[in-house]
Amino acid sequence: MIGLPDRIHMESELTLRRARRPRVPGLWAVAIGLALAGCGWLDSPATTLTPRSDFGWISHRIFLQILRWDTGIFVVVQILLLIAIFRFRERDPKAIPPQVRGSVKLELVWTVIPAVILTFIAFPTVGAIFRTQAAPPKDALRVRVIGHQWWWEFQYPDLGFATATDLHLPAGRPVSLEIAGADVIHSFWVPQLGGKRDAIPGGITRIVLTPDAPGEYYGQCAEFCGASHANMRHLAVVDAPEAFAAWAASQKEPAPTPPDGSPAAAGRDVFRTAACVGCHTIRGVSTGGIGPDLTHFGSRKTIAGGIFPNTPENLARWVRHAPGLKPGSLMPEQRLSDPEVAALVAYLGSLR
Amino acid sequence: MIEAGGADARAMSIVAHAAPHAEARGLASWLTTVDHKRIGILYGTSALVFFLVAGVEALLIRLQLARPDGQLVGAQRFNELFTMHGTSMVFLAVMPLSAAFFNYLVPLMIGARDVAFPRLNAFSYWVFLLGGLFLNASWLVGTPPDAGWFGYAPLTSKPFSVGPHSDFWLLGLLLLGTSSILASLNFLVTILNLRAPGMTFLRLPLFVWTTLVTNVLILLAFPPITVALVFLMFDRFFGTPFYIPAGGGSPLLWQHLFWIFGHPEVYILILPAMGIVSEVLPAFARKPLFGYPSMVYATALIGFLGFGVWAHHMFAVGMGPIADSAFALTTMLIAIPTGIKIFNWLCTLWGGSLRFRTAFCFAVAFVAMFTIGGLSGIMHASPPVDLQQTDSYFVVAHFHYVLFGGMILGLFAGIYYWFPKVTGRLLDERLGLCHFWLMLVGFNLTFFPMHFLGLMGMPRRIYTYPAGLGWDFWNLVCTVGAVLQGISVLVFLANVLRSLRAGAPAGPDPWDGRTLEWALPSPPPVYNFAALPTVLRRDALWLTKHPDARGPGLADPGALVAPVGAIHMPAPSHWPLLTALAMVVLVAGALLHLGVVIVGGLLTALAVLAFATELVPARADPGGHGGGVHEDPHVGATGLDHRKLGVWAFIGSECLFFGTLISTYMVYRGRSLQGPYPQEILNVPLITMSTFVLLMSSLTMVLGVAAIQARDVRVARRWLLATAALGGVFLAGQVYEFSHFVHEGLGLTTNLFAATFYVMVGFHGAHVTVGVVWLSVLWYLLARGRLGARDEALVDMAGLYWHFVDVVWIAIFTLVYLIQ
Amino acid sequence: MVGQPSRDHDYRAGASARHGAAHAGAGARTYLVVAAFLLAITVMEVWVFYVPALARILVPILLILSSLKFALVAMFYMHLKFDHAWFAYVFIGPLIIAIGLAVALLWLFGHVGTTGVPHAGAG
Repeated sequence: MIGLPDRIHMESELTLRRARRPRVPGLWAVAIGLALAGCGWLDSPATTLTPRSDFGWISHRIFLQILRWDTGIFVVVQILLLIAIFRFRERDPKAIPPQVRGSVKLELVWTVIPAVILTFIAFPTVGAIFRTQAAPPKDALRVRVIGHQWWWEFQYPDLGFATATDLHLPAGRPVSLEIAGADVIHSFWVPQLGGKRDAIPGGITRIVLTPDAPGEYYGQCAEFCGASHANMRHLAVVDAPEAFAAWAASQKEPAPTPPDGSPAAAGRDVFRTAACVGCHTIRGVSTGGIGPDLTHFGSRKTIAGGIFPNTPENLARWVRHAPGLKPGSLMPEQRLSDPEVAALVAYLGSLR
Repeated sequence: MIEAGGADARAMSIVAHAAPHAEARGLASWLTTVDHKRIGILYGTSALVFFLVAGVEALLIRLQLARPDGQLVGAQRFNELFTMHGTSMVFLAVMPLSAAFFNYLVPLMIGARDVAFPRLNAFSYWVFLLGGLFLNASWLVGTPPDAGWFGYAPLTSKPFSVGPHSDFWLLGLLLLGTSSILASLNFLVTILNLRAPGMTFLRLPLFVWTTLVTNVLILLAFPPITVALVFLMFDRFFGTPFYIPAGGGSPLLWQHLFWIFGHPEVYILILPAMGIVSEVLPAFARKPLFGYPSMVYATALIGFLGFGVWAHHMFAVGMGPIADSAFALTTMLIAIPTGIKIFNWLCTLWGGSLRFRTAFCFAVAFVAMFTIGGLSGIMHASPPVDLQQTDSYFVVAHFHYVLFGGMILGLFAGIYYWFPKVTGRLLDERLGLCHFWLMLVGFNLTFFPMHFLGLMGMPRRIYTYPAGLGWDFWNLVCTVGAVLQGISVLVFLANVLRSLRAGAPAGPDPWDGRTLEWALPSPPPVYNFAALPTVLRRDALWLTKHPDARGPGLADPGALVAPVGAIHMPAPSHWPLLTALAMVVLVAGALLHLGVVIVGGLLTALAVLAFATELVPARADPGGHGGGVHEDPHVGATGLDHRKLGVWAFIGSECLFFGTLISTYMVYRGRSLQGPYPQEILNVPLITMSTFVLLMSSLTMVLGVAAIQARDVRVARRWLLATAALGGVFLAGQVYEFSHFVHEGLGLTTNLFAATFYVMVGFHGAHVTVGVVWLSVLWYLLARGRLGARDEALVDMAGLYWHFVDVVWIAIFTLVYLIQ
Repeated sequence: MVGQPSRDHDYRAGASARHGAAHAGAGARTYLVVAAFLLAITVMEVWVFYVPALARILVPILLILSSLKFALVAMFYMHLKFDHAWFAYVFIGPLIIAIGLAVALLWLFGHVGTTGVPHAGAG
């Protein structure tokens, strides 16, 4: 059952989020942050500083809170250090300064004050731990996130299809990401949607979050997972509820059949006769289970573990030289003629 | 393992005379040296060489990442570079550099002539050096480790790591761990037992305190990683499923065991630098360390808490909210003692008369930079924040502020401070300050922007990144900073080379120092102190030079450097080096051929035997009661035998070793995916008999000890033989049990139960075997009259080991056989 | 002045302390009694193991009994009861840490959190 847009829920979640926003995150933090962010020096599509989910906001709020304390302590310590350095320079090489050995009172002060500060950090921390790890709501959309060397697979068990590299999520609806590793440990991370969670072979971990706003958010595997760890990227596409429903409906369909005689039909024959079928599923055509499901390949924005935009040129290069473009890639070089590659690319592109 | 040996003073002594430089020279004298100062120099120079290698690796990493889509090295080479950079910096550069300071300084600071076990000290060094060379030999054959310095399973298991990359890593770490554990035993016993008269615990220089805590941490943290590496070795070489999910194993076990080691390891790295800074700041401020007692307690507390926080490295694995909260809170607790230290350092400067020599500059920079690392650490203590920052460049920034901004700057402070003591010459101040400023600026330029990169979502350990993510500029800045750091190290090297040849003579006390080493000539004579000092107060030397109302700090300072007659110092030995070489043959054999392993194993066994009996007189010594010398070299000022204390410390370490094995067995209980299961196959009646036999062997052992303490060598020998024989019966029972299991279809790799059972019980059996050999050798030496009633301590120690093996069995019998 | 004036004194003190310690309170008779206890407790453990009625409380009983054996060997055969306190510290300190780690590991692996800890089963 595809969740229809739950507007009430979304709105309440958004107001909640606004209410939880920090007030003043410390003068210094603000100053440095403004200086850097204002000039755009901290802008990134992968930033953690502009969260786009409730989960991200919870983390960010505590981050700013600790940053405020940290800035205060930093300023105090460094100023004291600077004063000491300038004020107590040696003036008379013979002089022996007073031999102060300590002060119980002072030492108690800097035992108690940090302890108090830490209490202020500990309470929201524990609260946030339990809030972010609560059981998913009943209406949450379940997505199985599976890390492979080196690409992400996304299964929608309640909707009955699987995709790869592009993760589509509806805005404003809770999502329960059930994360696992197929081979080694990976870590699922879309910085703008919140913190990471490891994908561990032999078990399932979970993130529950509600994306705020439609958009495309950059993601990348965060746990070192072998040769092409750097090439294991993905895109989280948060759609407006209607757009998500439409996307899901089209993904549920079997692969479109190319008209007879078209280049795409020739490509399908290449796909069937070449090594492709051994590893890739195209629903209605093949059932390989090693590589990504390609049923609606043409609808994806990126290919090859998110490292290239999905263009015919990139796809052609990829089909020919996968291991050269992505070190360690399990997809072997395909010995196909130019027309065969062109037909294959046309076919895959037609799978929208 | 311990300095066995009787009391033939002639066999183990050279006589040092008044001339301070009457030292042996030449290469051979360095290969066979057991002098803690020379071993310190060896540790230091080797560590600096490895530091340069690991630094070049870091530079290559930075050059590759200077621009998006870097083409300098490929993915595989990059992964090798960062793996070797981390592994080398931790195990080959910083730990041994700290060990260099421990070696050179601890005996001088506590008023001793050497460490407790000088030959063992040399052995630790050689194993470290050969282990480091072995690890780096992987570059020569083109298969360096490539799974990161924490080598997360199952990336290190066979299907995902085919070549010998990870074999080099795990075998190298096993060697280095052996070296570290033995060295830690040595320093623990040295500090507890060899302090000069009057050098009470609260009069120890703080550096000695941090050394003590560091070595306790090494002693207890390395056994778990050793066990974890052994499991990995079994997975890779024999196909057991310890970390293999398909066989029921859990990759998370590796993470837990690694970080149970790995977090204390962080303190192992940083505490020595904290100790150095706590010596350097007071010396150049001409004030005592502010709040000395609370610094001591803070150090001890950091060490203890360090065992309860490991899982904060694992918040992303999803341990559940309760575990996350528990580890978050314990982690935050550590900030309190750390904060105490920082403010005490500040107050040490406050009101002082600060002399800005290079050493002091580095120490002040340590305080400033370490504070930044500590503050970002608080963020990681909070799991919701950590989930964004872990495995990103933010965490890379954090631990470099702690490890470079803290540790490396602290170690450089120590180098500038003690170089004159070691070499007799001052390092050049102008070059020194040039080095300092280049390094400080380069360091901040490299690592501060990494905070931004992390917040901008850049994961660590990626060999390339595309343009357009906003990461380009900051990466370029990092690389520029790294190059500056590289230049600063060149300046440092130039300074060292120049100063060694033409540096200004230092004199004994160039800084108006506070600790005992500054009372001695630079460099100190072989025997260190002409007469052992008698310490009256903390900061003894300073108070002797600048006495206050309560009088001086030392009883008779002139005697420390007075002309001396005969002082017995341990003789050089070639067995430390030879034994280390044999061990490397054994370990390297694992990569070559089973035959080499067997040869290496035999050589190691023989070398250990020769090492252990080197100091035992070759012939019967009928007259010997006390060996005709005035002193027992094995008894410290506390009245305790070093060797016995060493055996107890070793047993303490073994608690963690067997604790890890038994924990693993219990964690994996019931997780085997196929039979035979334990309840189908364990033979309780048979093992009950075996248990009786082992319990009885403890009785015969203790009767043997009682007999030799009653000076009845004949009876003692009989009981020793009986103990060894009972041990043999127990082993025979175990061989029968194992072969029965194999017959029933339970091979080593059959299931998780088999793997955990065989490895744990097998290690216990190996300990019993070692005990049988140990007792047999003692029996033989007693029978030949080479050892006698006066050597009761040796029998006592063998007994302690034997009983420990017995209590381990008591635990195993109940936990494995009865609680199925 | 030759060598170290204090060492001789310390050696004698140490030697006597050592000898005194080892002999105090423990003789062959004590050792035999301890051995008898060890065997008896082991028999009791195995007996408990075979009694179905005790199955529910088997684990705590066995843990107590084997700790008792452990303590007997450590205190009497390893002389901790009579020897210098440092020996006890360097043994019991690590023992406590080892037991703490074991308990923590068992808890971490036995306790499936809400986000789930990987357990049995193939990937």
